[in-house]
Amino acid sequence: MKRYPSALAAIAAASAVALAGCSSPASETADPSAPVTLTVSAWNLDKTPEFNALFEAFEAAHPNVTIQPVEILADDYPEKVATMLAGGDTTDVLTMKNVIDYARYANRGQLLDLTDFVAELPTDKIAGLEPFDIDGKYAAVPYRQDFWVLYYNKALFDAAGLPHPDHLTWAQYGELAKKLTSGTTPDGQQVYGTYHHIWRSVVQAIAAAQTGGDQLSGDYGFMKDQYSLALDLQNAGAALDFGTAKTQKVNYRSMFETGQTAMMPMGTWYIAGIKAAIEGGTSSVQWGMAPMPQISAGGETATFGSPTAFAVNENAKNVEMAKEFIRFATGEEGAKVLAGIGVVPAYSSDAVTAAFTALPGDELSKTTFTENKKVVLEMPVSEVTSDIDTILNEEHELIMAGQKSIDDGIRDAGERVKNEVL
Amino acid sequence: MTVTTEPALRTRRPPEPAARTRRRSLRPTLVGWSFILPNFLGFALLTLVPMVFGLALSFMDWSPWGDPEWVGFENFERMLRNSTFWIALWNTTYYAAGHIPLTMAVSLGLALLLNRTLAGLGFFRTAFFLPYVTSLVAVAVVWNMLFNPTSGPVNQFLQFAGVTDPPGWTSSTAWAMPAVIVASVWRDMGYYMVLFLAGLQTIPTELYEAARVDGANAWQRFRNITLPGLRPTTFFVLIMCTVASFKVFDLIVVMTDGGPGRATKVLSQLIYEEGIREGRFGLASAISLVLFLLVAGFTVIQFLLQRRQEDR
Amino acid sequence: MTANLTSTVTPKPDAVPNRGSAPPRPAIPARVRKVVHSALLTVLCLLVLVPFVWMISSSLKHDNQVFTVPTQWIPREFVWSNYVDIWTQIPMLAYLRNSAFLAITISFLQVITGSFAAYGFAKLRFPGRDWLFLAYLATIAVPWQAYMIPQYLIMEKLGLVNTHLSIILLQAFGAFGVFLMRQYYQSIPDELIEAARIDGLSEYRIWWRIMLPLSRPAIASLGLLTFVSTWNDYMGPFIYFTSNELWTVQLGLRSFVGQYDAAYAMIMTGSVISVLPVVLVFLLGQRQFIQGIATSGLKG
Repeated sequence: MKRYPSALAAIAAASAVALAGCSSPASETADPSAPVTLTVSAWNLDKTPEFNALFEAFEAAHPNVTIQPVEILADDYPEKVATMLAGGDTTDVLTMKNVIDYARYANRGQLLDLTDFVAELPTDKIAGLEPFDIDGKYAAVPYRQDFWVLYYNKALFDAAGLPHPDHLTWAQYGELAKKLTSGTTPDGQQVYGTYHHIWRSVVQAIAAAQTGGDQLSGDYGFMKDQYSLALDLQNAGAALDFGTAKTQKVNYRSMFETGQTAMMPMGTWYIAGIKAAIEGGTSSVQWGMAPMPQISAGGETATFGSPTAFAVNENAKNVEMAKEFIRFATGEEGAKVLAGIGVVPAYSSDAVTAAFTALPGDELSKTTFTENKKVVLEMPVSEVTSDIDTILNEEHELIMAGQKSIDDGIRDAGERVKNEVL
Repeated sequence: MTVTTEPALRTRRPPEPAARTRRRSLRPTLVGWSFILPNFLGFALLTLVPMVFGLALSFMDWSPWGDPEWVGFENFERMLRNSTFWIALWNTTYYAAGHIPLTMAVSLGLALLLNRTLAGLGFFRTAFFLPYVTSLVAVAVVWNMLFNPTSGPVNQFLQFAGVTDPPGWTSSTAWAMPAVIVASVWRDMGYYMVLFLAGLQTIPTELYEAARVDGANAWQRFRNITLPGLRPTTFFVLIMCTVASFKVFDLIVVMTDGGPGRATKVLSQLIYEEGIREGRFGLASAISLVLFLLVAGFTVIQFLLQRRQEDR
Repeated sequence: MTANLTSTVTPKPDAVPNRGSAPPRPAIPARVRKVVHSALLTVLCLLVLVPFVWMISSSLKHDNQVFTVPTQWIPREFVWSNYVDIWTQIPMLAYLRNSAFLAITISFLQVITGSFAAYGFAKLRFPGRDWLFLAYLATIAVPWQAYMIPQYLIMEKLGLVNTHLSIILLQAFGAFGVFLMRQYYQSIPDELIEAARIDGLSEYRIWWRIMLPLSRPAIASLGLLTFVSTWNDYMGPFIYFTSNELWTVQLGLRSFVGQYDAAYAMIMTGSVISVLPVVLVFLLGQRQFIQGIATSGLKG
């Protein structure tokens, strides 16, 4: 009984404080060199070096600014940010982990309109800006633009006497994969020709990017060839089967870094990861980068990718400084900082390419990075994106685990999307 | 010795003079409420109110960034038209029907086995409790490994025993749920074992001795002393296990993520996806309401049954 | 309410067929039974511990070696440094301290308020008692996803977000403890309480002097299970603790999960370390489950 009054007193005291403190509106200091604390949302600071790199560089250029990161776990980042914003959070700069989340926040009016701001930026040099255009308005600017490439293990290719995978077609890719499935790693683990991670984008997004198919349409026949290839490789044993990969949570990094796979389609964010693994001594893989295989030879390389962006909170306290930060991070200075640690910035220029020292020295890797390519957004943005994503994912699993034929899976996906979403 | 007191000695006070009755009946009420109040107040303010609000949301269209708008049964209609809802409802019931009896039987068995003096008793009890505190990721990975259709020991054993086409377990739509049930029974048995162990301590050892002297064998002792003595505990375990089974979430997400396809998708997952991921709180609350009524109904029936049993 | 206990004191006549006439069947020697018993238990134990072994083995590997196919049960290279690095890579000690503080406080509060309320529900009679209890029970059935956000909004208005107090208040009062203790109290005979009442003890004294000491196994099980639940709780701290200083071990371990990848070995290292206090608490708590303790209060 004694605890009860003290608990009640604590609640009363806390609510009094809360009520008293939440009335002052956001105000800008007129003096541009007055000390400012800028809050920026970020995930896993220790494991994601790009944030600290950008923060330190910005603070060096603006000595009166201290950046206070709001660290959120990457795993549940969107849910946490949604909850925070629902509660009226005032973090100045919000990092948009992907375009889908961006669309949600923008449509709810939680992000500051940046259209005029964007008009002043060198937008011709910034890749991946279009997805952030919602009805002619922008509320975020990308600072990094990842796209998908084909990683390969040079040592395994050389040992098999095969030429490096330079601008392959899918047919050539399939043959190579089967030839390269032989032997074991020094630890006695089987070596596969290629590894397809369990994400549906590995099959669906590349098919959409290369055939022009629309993942939101409800007509998914364009995915059939890609599925045929993937299943063929799986059944021939040239790629680890989906069921095992998914249920045992196989990690794509493990597969590549331990030399268990000769090839692997994956995003450019992995560059920083390989670099860290080799420098840290946990891997000795001799890796190279090549463009994603195409449907037919000779044309422009088409692949898919995803931008990561910064936005300004509608309830931000330091709007001007937030915009200044974004200008820095998405411009040449920020891009050079990112390139230096192996992250692919959205801003491109020669200076930036020169700073990108994480790539292996060979010509093929360089060409992959610098050549003109068509980068399609991994998944188009709309109100129904999330629901369609769920349905496509479920059918993807069933097809790859052999529980449904490709035709049935594609047909069911289309029907479900048309009936339940569209 | 209180062992041989007459049965059904219920508290019956002699009838009281009318004038004092009213005042007397107020005091027990006040006293009773004074015991309940500390827990109830904290609970009501911080949990009950949000719960009621959350469930009332099922009749509204609401996102935290807008105002709630009454829409009547629209959310329920939408829910009933959603094929995933029916699949999840079936899966949840399937899971509960498998999980509840198996877990109760196994945990009771363990409690009985471990309710006697034994060398290393503490170690054994801890070992069986360990699955409950083992990281879920570890649980999921290892069980999926055991159940791997081609290389896992389970299927290898089945093939050795003559089964020609062993199940695909978590890679197959038909066998994923049984696999998950097995893993979850393994995981939960230690938890309920603890509850049964506590309950077993209420049964006086003299009863067993007396029965043994009279020549009753183990099964008879179990049926006539243990089971009845455990009735309050069994009721508790049954209710908690039922509720937990219908609300299962973590293990499914980590082990199969509702897959393959939607073969193991359960209602809690759907609620989480609709509510927290998609922001459709009205719909999520409607599904929650259905889940709640399902479980609450079962609970109430069990409670009334138990009360009738006690009054006999 | 204690009819179920006292009415089965004497075994029913038809349950004892051997009485009088035939000689009792020769029993398996107690020695053999004990050995078989122990052997059976040991085998079961080993099977049960397999995932835990995997955890330990993974904690001693490099990140890219954890999820390999096929699984390497014995690490190729024993990375003992994981157990050293984890204390510096994340503030593990602070996280452990926070987890311990929360778990102990909440367990204590749950036991006190739960057993207090349980006495009211089990041994006192007043109108509306059973319906109120039913309402309590019903609330256990509501999935947290349904009321998570409204609850957050209330806590936010009270200014409790980003404090330890938020979680303590949310979890110290609940139906689980009340339910568990009430069921246990039902097996304590009414005669005891009647006798105490006649002796002039107030209800509060009865609870403190009689109910509590008699319900040690229940208190142990409630305390234990609450401790474990709080220790392993992820969602609650995730929603309410924004500042790193407040984080618990479960949150801390998740910080090893990145956008596209995770430091799996470290996660397992942290998980193994995190299990040890729980195991310790369990070993201590389960000592209460020794037959005979509960009956001592009934004699004489």
